[in-house]
Amino acid sequence: MERYWSVRDAKTWLMLLLVVLMALPATVLAQSADARREAFQAMPGTTPEFWRDAVEGVSGRTQSNSPGADTLIMVEGERWREIRNQWISPGGAIALGGSLLAITLFYLLVGQVKLENPRTGKKIERWTRWDRTIHWYVAVLFIILGVTGLSILYAKWFLMPILPTSVWAAWMTAAKNIHNYLGPLFAIGVLAMILKWLKHNFFNMTDLKWFLKGGGIVGKAHPSAGYLNGGEKVWYWVIVTVGLTVVVSGLVLDFPNFGQSRETMQLFLIIHAVASLILMAAAFGHIYIGTLGTEGAFEGMKTGYVDESWAKQHHDLWYDAVKKKTGS
Amino acid sequence: MRLNKKVSDTSLDMNQNRLGVSRRGFLKGTTLAAGGIAATGLLGKGMIRPVEAATPKSSAPVEVKRTICTHCSVGCGVYAHVQNGVWTYQEAAFDNPINRGAHCAKGAALRYHGHSTRRLKYPMKLEGGKWKRLSWEQAINEVGDKIEQIRAESGPDSVFWLGSAKFNNEQAYLFRKMVSLWGTNNVEHQARICHSTTVAGVANTWGYGAMTNSYNDMQNSKSMLFIGSNAAEAHPVSLQHVMIAKERNNCKIVVADPRFTRTAAKATQYVRIRPGSDVAYVWGLLWHIFANGWEDKQYLAQRVYGMDEIREEVLQFPPDVVENITGVDEQTMYQTAKLLSDHRPGCVVWCMGGTQHTTGNNNTRAYCILELALGNIGKSGGGANIFRGHDNVQGATDFGVLSDSLPGYYGLAEGSWRHWAGVWGVDYEWIQNRFDQTEYRGGKPMHTNGITVSRWIDGVLEDKEKMAQNDNIRAMFYWGHAVNSQTRGPEMREAMKKLDMMVIVDPYPTVAAVMNDRTDGVYLLPACTQFETYGSVTASNRSIQWRSKVIDPHFESKPDHEIMYLLSKKVGIADQVFKNIQVNGDEPLIEDIVREYNRGMWTIGYTGQSPERLKYHQENWHAFDFTSLRAVGTDAHGDFYGLPWPCWGTPEMGHPGTHVLYDTSLPVKDGGLGFRANFGVERNGETLLAEGSAPVGNEIGDGHPEFTANMLKQLGWWDDLTEAEKAAADGKDWKTDLSGGIQRVAIKHGCAPFGNGKARTIVWTFPDAIPKHREPLYTTRRDLVESYPTWDDFESLYRMPTLYKSIQERDTSAEFPIILTSGRLVEYEGGGDETRSNPWLAELQQHMFVEINPFNANTLRIADGDDVWVYGPEGGRVRVKALVTNRVGRDVAFMPFHFGGEFQGEDLRSRYPEGSDPYVLGEAVNTVTTYGYDPVTIMQETKCTVCRIEKAA
Amino acid sequence: MARMKFLCDSERCIECNGCVTACKNANETEWGIQRRRVVTLDDGEVGKEVSISVACMHCSDAPCMAVCPTDCFYPTEDGLILHNKDACIGCGYCLYACPFGAPQFPKQGAFGARGKMDKCTFCAGGPESDPVLEEQKYGANRLREGKLPLCAEMCSTKALLAGDAQQVADIFRERVVYRGHRNSAWGSVEHEAAESEQLAQQAADLAYDATQSV
Repeated sequence: MERYWSVRDAKTWLMLLLVVLMALPATVLAQSADARREAFQAMPGTTPEFWRDAVEGVSGRTQSNSPGADTLIMVEGERWREIRNQWISPGGAIALGGSLLAITLFYLLVGQVKLENPRTGKKIERWTRWDRTIHWYVAVLFIILGVTGLSILYAKWFLMPILPTSVWAAWMTAAKNIHNYLGPLFAIGVLAMILKWLKHNFFNMTDLKWFLKGGGIVGKAHPSAGYLNGGEKVWYWVIVTVGLTVVVSGLVLDFPNFGQSRETMQLFLIIHAVASLILMAAAFGHIYIGTLGTEGAFEGMKTGYVDESWAKQHHDLWYDAVKKKTGS
Repeated sequence: MRLNKKVSDTSLDMNQNRLGVSRRGFLKGTTLAAGGIAATGLLGKGMIRPVEAATPKSSAPVEVKRTICTHCSVGCGVYAHVQNGVWTYQEAAFDNPINRGAHCAKGAALRYHGHSTRRLKYPMKLEGGKWKRLSWEQAINEVGDKIEQIRAESGPDSVFWLGSAKFNNEQAYLFRKMVSLWGTNNVEHQARICHSTTVAGVANTWGYGAMTNSYNDMQNSKSMLFIGSNAAEAHPVSLQHVMIAKERNNCKIVVADPRFTRTAAKATQYVRIRPGSDVAYVWGLLWHIFANGWEDKQYLAQRVYGMDEIREEVLQFPPDVVENITGVDEQTMYQTAKLLSDHRPGCVVWCMGGTQHTTGNNNTRAYCILELALGNIGKSGGGANIFRGHDNVQGATDFGVLSDSLPGYYGLAEGSWRHWAGVWGVDYEWIQNRFDQTEYRGGKPMHTNGITVSRWIDGVLEDKEKMAQNDNIRAMFYWGHAVNSQTRGPEMREAMKKLDMMVIVDPYPTVAAVMNDRTDGVYLLPACTQFETYGSVTASNRSIQWRSKVIDPHFESKPDHEIMYLLSKKVGIADQVFKNIQVNGDEPLIEDIVREYNRGMWTIGYTGQSPERLKYHQENWHAFDFTSLRAVGTDAHGDFYGLPWPCWGTPEMGHPGTHVLYDTSLPVKDGGLGFRANFGVERNGETLLAEGSAPVGNEIGDGHPEFTANMLKQLGWWDDLTEAEKAAADGKDWKTDLSGGIQRVAIKHGCAPFGNGKARTIVWTFPDAIPKHREPLYTTRRDLVESYPTWDDFESLYRMPTLYKSIQERDTSAEFPIILTSGRLVEYEGGGDETRSNPWLAELQQHMFVEINPFNANTLRIADGDDVWVYGPEGGRVRVKALVTNRVGRDVAFMPFHFGGEFQGEDLRSRYPEGSDPYVLGEAVNTVTTYGYDPVTIMQETKCTVCRIEKAA
Repeated sequence: MARMKFLCDSERCIECNGCVTACKNANETEWGIQRRRVVTLDDGEVGKEVSISVACMHCSDAPCMAVCPTDCFYPTEDGLILHNKDACIGCGYCLYACPFGAPQFPKQGAFGARGKMDKCTFCAGGPESDPVLEEQKYGANRLREGKLPLCAEMCSTKALLAGDAQQVADIFRERVVYRGHRNSAWGSVEHEAAESEQLAQQAADLAYDATQSV
């Protein structure tokens, strides 16, 4: 039941993203922004010196107090538009779509990693209540932020045409507000998560071997792993680096009341978008492995307990340690 | 926060057209049809789309009112759309011949004044440090009782009546009349500290002290010299005409100013001169003109007296001397002189940068002499284009809201009083009895110049034994005046404290209400703006424009003339003041006031402009040409727009007004003139009358003195008068003949009533007969003081001892090394109380600042935007923001003068009556400006003092 | 239908800010929102100071429209770029993309609270059928009444022109002829644009080279 739902969901998303991918290049190529031409038509008769200053974005004086008002032509705007619309937007779609595609193909080709031995019925506590609370807190926020964030980036290509304007406007307003108000809460969760799990995530020789054996996902080999395997540690460090980038850039964008310049905002928007898209693409893998890809993994984060045979198969060193400790 | 009320509670009528006529049809017939760059229209006919639907803010009918902007002397026309008594839209008046719909920031924000809530709402008085609401009746009674008491104790001269250039003509005239019948000449308005040195200097050169040509006529200029004028900020719409000249005539524009102004940014040549060196600069130009023989010799021979003496004086100013004084090198001087000589006709434009000096009269006369030498006066495209400041400062000057003259520049002599007593229908003896009859230094107060607005402070603080009147000033009316536009702020505060009573009559509380440091005895009487009443206003070019009432007075405010009536009634002179004027309720009838002054203003020809003619011009803006100002078609055909004075004779004579003064190429009946023969007929054996030059059609054909009854008889023209005119004219002259017959007959024979004289370069009645360069009282160039010292102290000028040498003797140059000058910002006007209360404008200039050259800023470690203290040499200091810019040179700092409401670091916002504080407050530059007055007119020195700048902690 | 454009003649613009307050007058935007502003380059520098009045240029290929997440912008038949405030979410992207700083936001609050974007509408209102509501939300709709934007109508020196691009260009060209500039026709003005562009490009290249040598 659960599996059926997941596959259908993934396929829907894949379809939609393919549509987006098809649609984007056409629109992107149609754009040939030319602020200079506009400006020249609107302010002709200027001297070449003036013109040079203007198109280079030299700032002057104005009685307007709007941010950046003292600049006649903000050349960065063009570049930002180009980066966002011609690189990030299609690039993100490709990354997300590619990630989903890869996962789908993998699933179709390899299928789920089954438990090699039947369940013993004996449960070992893997995630404490605290661990699970933090995980699901972050995960839920991540999904909400992902959906709202993706709406801001892509929804106008597929949602807008099918929604009445009022519903569309309401959804987008909600999306922006949800994204902006939940963002800081997500930041707290990410920080808590990073601190809580730091001690498990230092790499060791076991991880190296684990990596050398490709994590055991491909083939029949079973590399040894402790409480967390190499892959999980990599995911952790992705969250630390990319996740924190998302969080920090998001906070800069979320609080424009500190006088950030337009240029600052542009830069952080790009950082935020790129990092978020990377994180999302990576998260697809994490979600796959934690649910559909690995039999018995999801129940660990759901109940806190995993079956003995699952522990033995995936985290043998940890299993041994737990055994030794409890003495059973 | 929507700052405006809107009429949105009524239902809509989609088909209603707000204009009453279709915009398309409306535009078609007007400016755009003229096309081309002269019109510089915004849209061609093809672009105007058919009116699809209109969006009135309510279904209420729209009334379109024609009014005139109240912010400067350009006199831009305005269409105000009114619905249900609310001013809902403002439209560009494309058909107004002066502005063609154009506005600067202030004009484009006018409509807000019709909504402003930061106004005085009802009469108030300060009692125990708190503002207390009064009824109008109570307020008038208390104020009236107090001035009666002061009158009884100290005489009528102890009440000072400070009027306003914000009055319309009728209110200005009425104010002067009311104060005259109160019995004092202590009546003034802003013209004293604006263009008084122009009026005196120019009138003494060629007759009338006003702008000779017009803004529109500048389209015909081939060169322009802006000296001490930043028209781009002070008179922005005038630049429309300047730009047209620049494009069409390839007009060369020279801007001579200590500051690289926004006007300079549009100039062909910018010349940076040291503040206060105008005379030397002009002499430097003339040195090259004379040296190269570029002067107009025929013109000088025919129409100018005394140029040879000037030539001798100019020889004292060879290029090296000029460079030493002004800072301008020989090559630049030569270039400018050649530019102005090669491109004639050219005009000179000056403003406060030239007038507000201790040497103001010397400056204005020097400019005139330059133009005379080039033969530019009396020609279309030439002229001395003196841009006045406030919207009606020209009118208020003409109507004598000044301590040295009755309306029409009649002066204060017995004959003048008798003339006006006749017009008013009041006994001369009765008037005389209203005055203090004691003889003081210089004569009886009725016939001596009163104290000036620039020095009311001294009138309060000076030892009364040294004054030429009975007692100090004890009560002040600030009737439409911004005190922060006057120098010596800290002393002003002392003076305010010493007064028995302050009465502020204004739409806004003004800085006077908060800087006084008093707890009692301050009255605030809410006057309404000119949009809430109607009447005429005189633009700088002497055109008189009629304003319609746009909206009813806000809150409990009243029009100024109504307040004058209430006060006159209270002090028992209403019967005399309003003898010929109908009063409806408490409101005197404006049209009756016009008719009364039409009967008395013969000197400057305010006699032909009946209310009917003025209103007709207002209703027919479209008929007047944009360049020549002449009407084509309609009943006004041939009239110049607004009947620019002199509009000779009676309205029935139908004189078209005089567009270009002293233009001999036109007959007098069509607006031609020679120079006024006002200085006698000869001096030292040389004639002062024109030689071989006269307006076209002049039957005398040469120079002649001004007309009198006797002269008509000698010429054999006496019988051209009707019997009634003969009866009125006998024994009179062109200025005092109330029938207008002498003027009519003179003009019939092609003669200007005021004669046909020469302009004079030497004014033998002035302290400096020939304009001299004199160092400012506070100067950083001590080395020049010995060669160019100021005058000795005067024992009494305008009733007060006046200091010169004793101020200049003190060397402040070490402690105060930077010259401080001041000027305008386009967003604000005057003291700024009104404009700083308009959020559309206030938003654009939120901080008082001082412009500092990067050299000084770096040396003083001041960065752009830092808070700094500016210290003046008389103890004042202001805390302002630094604006680091090359706009000013290393020796100069500049501050705008529109700010108030902060005083030497103290925020006075809490002292405003609740809800009436302007959006933006700031230090007033005049807190640091210093002593210094022109000896002829007591103009204050605001453009050249010294300062020290320090970074604020 | 005509293609509407603004044109600011820098030879005439005197930075009087009349256009700014005229806009306020017509559209009654709140304190802090200036749909139009005047920018002066080389302020106070002798011989160099130039002022230009700028607002939304109603670009042919509008960057704001391209980046708007809600696609609230729409072009009109007059070539104007208007926007639907109901769909605006106040994200600020249009401001980041606009080369001319045209979009204005009432605030810059925490959690990205900016309010609805406001910008020059060429006095053509917005997508609202009720005229009263339209005026409250978007300001005046003068175009519908056959009038042009108030800023241009009230410009003190007629520096700011508004209207059909071709006719506005014609007026400007006529002035250029009078001024005796070497290039008089619009075509050659475009040529001059290319020239200026080239110069600017050269300068930009130099600047780029300079960064490379570090």
